Amino acid sequence: MTLRLRRPAQAIGLSLALLAATLVATTTARAHDEAKYPDWSGVWRGTGGNKWPTPAPLTAEYQKIFEANLRDQEAGGHGDTPTVNCLPPGMPRQMNVYEPLQIVITPEMVHMLMEHVHDSRRIYTDGRPFPKDMEPMFAGYSIGKWEDTDGDGRFDTLVVETRGLKGPRTYDSTGIPMHKNNQTVVKERITLDKTKPDLMHNEITTIDDALTKPWTITKTYRRDAKSKEPYWWREAVCAENNPHITIGDEVYMLSADGQLMPTRKDQPPPKLDYFQQPKQHSQR
Amino acid sequence: MGKKMLAAAMGLAAALGLTTVSASAFDDALYPDLKGQWRRISPPGQPAFDPSKPRGWAQEAPLTEEYKKVFEENLRDLAAGGEGLWPGYSCRPPGMPPMMTAYEPMEFVILPKVTFIMIDHIHESHRRIHTDGRDWPKEIEPAYAGYTIGRWVDTDGDGKLDTLEAETRHIKGRRAYDATGLPLHSDNKTVVKERIYLDKANRNILRNEVTVIDNALTRPWIVTKSYSRAPEQYPFWREYLCSENNNHVAIGKESYFLSADGFLMPAKKGQQPPDLRHFEPQR
Repeated sequence: MTLRLRRPAQAIGLSLALLAATLVATTTARAHDEAKYPDWSGVWRGTGGNKWPTPAPLTAEYQKIFEANLRDQEAGGHGDTPTVNCLPPGMPRQMNVYEPLQIVITPEMVHMLMEHVHDSRRIYTDGRPFPKDMEPMFAGYSIGKWEDTDGDGRFDTLVVETRGLKGPRTYDSTGIPMHKNNQTVVKERITLDKTKPDLMHNEITTIDDALTKPWTITKTYRRDAKSKEPYWWREAVCAENNPHITIGDEVYMLSADGQLMPTRKDQPPPKLDYFQQPKQHSQR
Repeated sequence: MGKKMLAAAMGLAAALGLTTVSASAFDDALYPDLKGQWRRISPPGQPAFDPSKPRGWAQEAPLTEEYKKVFEENLRDLAAGGEGLWPGYSCRPPGMPPMMTAYEPMEFVILPKVTFIMIDHIHESHRRIHTDGRDWPKEIEPAYAGYTIGRWVDTDGDGKLDTLEAETRHIKGRRAYDATGLPLHSDNKTVVKERIYLDKANRNILRNEVTVIDNALTRPWIVTKSYSRAPEQYPFWREYLCSENNNHVAIGKESYFLSADGFLMPAKKGQQPPDLRHFEPQR
């Protein structure tokens, strides 16, 4: 078929229409241009341990709370760390990445999937504001935006702010505390190492009323070399084999044979007032 | 001149097309639009596995005689104050297939090699439905959510994938279909097949035809579940923490309650208290 064009204007019009149609077609056909985003695929693991650097810039009031928690741990207790009861570590502690991390990027959201104690996060990148009324959550409410810091036309850094947090939370298992008012704000800058793309850095700044100043640390995650292979993502169910049992204000342990045990010397057993007491045998 | 301009425009358009194809490894227009938050469609109250029928015996689950007895015993335990066979009372995940009842809202994320189904109920579950053509792993650790392999199918030949066919194996127990304790076999050889697709007349309704093949059944049990897309622009994803306010306490093989004031309570009439032999005698 031959296309005959009588006037240059027709040719120009048709050309523009064709170009526009192509643009529309390509735009609607690919809502998610993943080449705009960094390659964060694979399996990421935490490096450098799960402890936060010491000393934490705690206020005098929260330094005392931390020390009391350490004394409790030394006596065999669990201090203030909430995870013994299968409560999530929450933000920012969950970014210690206790279990392997998978990052799923869509235009509207970044999912951080971690099988630990409810450690996964949604980071909204669709331009929404923080809601006026937020139901507090251990993971908080995270809003992020992508930045192209080196101007190469591709996003390389995810900048995140998290608010709307719930407690109790600590930074790590030593029990470094966050303020009970849960007004914590966590800011993150997450980016691949410029020379080693299998390393990811997360610069975490915590703003909290238990701190004398914003506390900035960097967590580094390493991409598992096996990530190219089909990977078995282990299911971690905290409630399944948790040996800790909380009754009232006391935390007990379960022995291997399912018996209740004290966690510290001279710990009183739970009160059994609601049970029918065994009948007293009469002495003859 | 016109031909030259047309050729130039076509060249530009072609170049643009090539650029965009190579730049976008994932053409999500091939897949159905499952974005948003999906909530189960079922009568009010505790949901049943088959949403079209009441709970309990009225589900008409094709249980074997042996498992009818298991169910009866479970109902007696529930009536006496026990927990029966439903694992959720002790904050264990419902697993497959009951997790697809969507006790809490669901989110789908479709990528070329995997479709995620995320449900935050008891356990924060991320079902990974592997669509990369892989085979079943030779060795695998059973999980409540099992291991799922799927494929997207274009059932009406319009060039667009519309149905996700999934098969799930390697599921762990203890599981029940719903909170009445309607049991699955304790051998955990369950196979679950699903067909997930948008309703043709209403693209905000999602259907899931679930077929359960299990040794506690006399034949495969087929149930259709439906979900509706949340209308909100920014639906809220609640954090569901079973452990936070759970008043069930398991000590050994016994299950107790916690009173509002933090005391241990019997769950059943005449239940013995836990053995406290590991504690020092109290004065």
